[in-house]
Amino acid sequence: MKRLSISERLGLVSYRNQGRTDAKAHIEVDTDICNSTCPHQCTTYVCPAKCYTLDEAGELHFQFEDCIECGTCMYACDQGAVKWSYPDPETGRGVNWNFG
Amino acid sequence: MEEKFDCIIVGGGIAGLSAAMILARADARFLLIERGEFCGAKNVSGGVLWGSDLNELVPDFGDSSEGFERFINHRRLTFMDDQSAFSLDFKSAHFEQTPYSGVTVLRSKFDAWLAGKVEAQIEQGTHSESSFLATDILVQEVIQESGRVVGIRAGGEDFFADCVILAEGVNNLLTRQIGIEPAYVPADHVAVGVKEVIEFDKSVLEDRFQLNGRSGLTNEFVGFCSDGVEGGGFLYTNEESLSVGLVLGMKDLREKKKAPQDILNQFKEHPAVRDMLTGGKVVEYSAHVVSTGDIDAVPERLYDDGVLIAGEAAHLLLNAGKAIQGMDYAMRSGILAAEAVLAAREVSDFSGAQLSGYQKALENSYVLTDMHNFHDAVKLLHDPMMFGAVPNVICDFGRQFFTIRSEPGQKSRHMMTAAVKRHSSYWDLIKLGAKAARAL
Repeated sequence: MKRLSISERLGLVSYRNQGRTDAKAHIEVDTDICNSTCPHQCTTYVCPAKCYTLDEAGELHFQFEDCIECGTCMYACDQGAVKWSYPDPETGRGVNWNFG
Repeated sequence: MEEKFDCIIVGGGIAGLSAAMILARADARFLLIERGEFCGAKNVSGGVLWGSDLNELVPDFGDSSEGFERFINHRRLTFMDDQSAFSLDFKSAHFEQTPYSGVTVLRSKFDAWLAGKVEAQIEQGTHSESSFLATDILVQEVIQESGRVVGIRAGGEDFFADCVILAEGVNNLLTRQIGIEPAYVPADHVAVGVKEVIEFDKSVLEDRFQLNGRSGLTNEFVGFCSDGVEGGGFLYTNEESLSVGLVLGMKDLREKKKAPQDILNQFKEHPAVRDMLTGGKVVEYSAHVVSTGDIDAVPERLYDDGVLIAGEAAHLLLNAGKAIQGMDYAMRSGILAAEAVLAAREVSDFSGAQLSGYQKALENSYVLTDMHNFHDAVKLLHDPMMFGAVPNVICDFGRQFFTIRSEPGQKSRHMMTAAVKRHSSYWDLIKLGAKAARAL
């Protein structure tokens, strides 16, 4: 069986409000904390949807569009940088599982 | 909306829908609010629904072809190292009788089916126009008046009820809002599950896994599958697909700097797993946080004035090595929560003192009884030896035992001694054995 990349895997996920360019973020990340005092930046590897990435300069960035609402970052981050909530059904993003 | 409901249920998962079924049967007037487009749209599980509680909610569900995927008559527990897999395998015709004691489910389908059953029950009562399953609505907050829960706010509107059941799942923001659980839940109270649903030609699936009609297999894995991280793997047969995934301890994952999706790749490429997946097509990748099932993570009180907490929002789950029991715990706690609401309605008292009967009922049921009784077993499973040295010793021994060389062989006890020395020590195994003896 062919190994799937994370983008191929997320390509199989049905997201809500996919056409919406102005979708409201349901997770707010204070990346200043991630990029200054955080000793592990663990969200960059524990997030199963790879919403947290490091750029070439080693700076952490977050995007909510690929989020599959699993909740991982809310627990893995012990630095108080992640403010987690559920996406608004109308204005937010989030998943619509086909199988679940 | 001015008129008060008897009960508002937050969450249309298994706990919420089970509560709703009991309320509908008692002809109570209630509102269930689900944030997904339909019940099940936001829900993920491994998933096997264990036990026979479903039969209480939907009698003779086993006769129907809807709802669940397959009933389980074949169980397998596999210890693995990087090359080998050593399994305990049990199949029995006893498991083919209804009510089944375990069924595989895909939540998007199962929860929607169960919601349909609840709606049919509502239709039979006198509140067919005033009890609702309302989907696509997010509850923003719980409304409290002088410390008592009186309703919820959703979509800018306030809804009031005598009692609120929070069945919002493990990411229990509302349970935290009212202070039943602290705002920050630490990583060691949870794990993360990652899963793929892999589709097969039905006849291929049936032949490969020796399925007969709607029978099914569950296979749990421990060892190499979790790449040194606390946790394990699973493979469950659905009607026309497999659910293949891992459950990984959050704190351990963070400390070992591993990515769950990479470990899943490695698990799928293990020789024993690879050959089961050949020819399949991945149709969904999913992930969700899951409680570790440690009683220490369960809030001290699962009730307060005007409110009850059910299902995984209350961290009710058990994995004592036999099975991961989360959905049956959700079902039973939902049923008991609804019964507590009905008992409170009888005496028109929705105070915490009255609703504490819910907690007592949980203590008397298998839910909290087993979580207490098997606490040591849960702790044992979290011992690093259980997903490291132990599976390695077992597989090493297996390899020696099943190897036939054209030369004089060794006795099994020598093979075991050698295997233990390579991966651990007798002293460590004795200590683990002593823990196991206490736990089991």
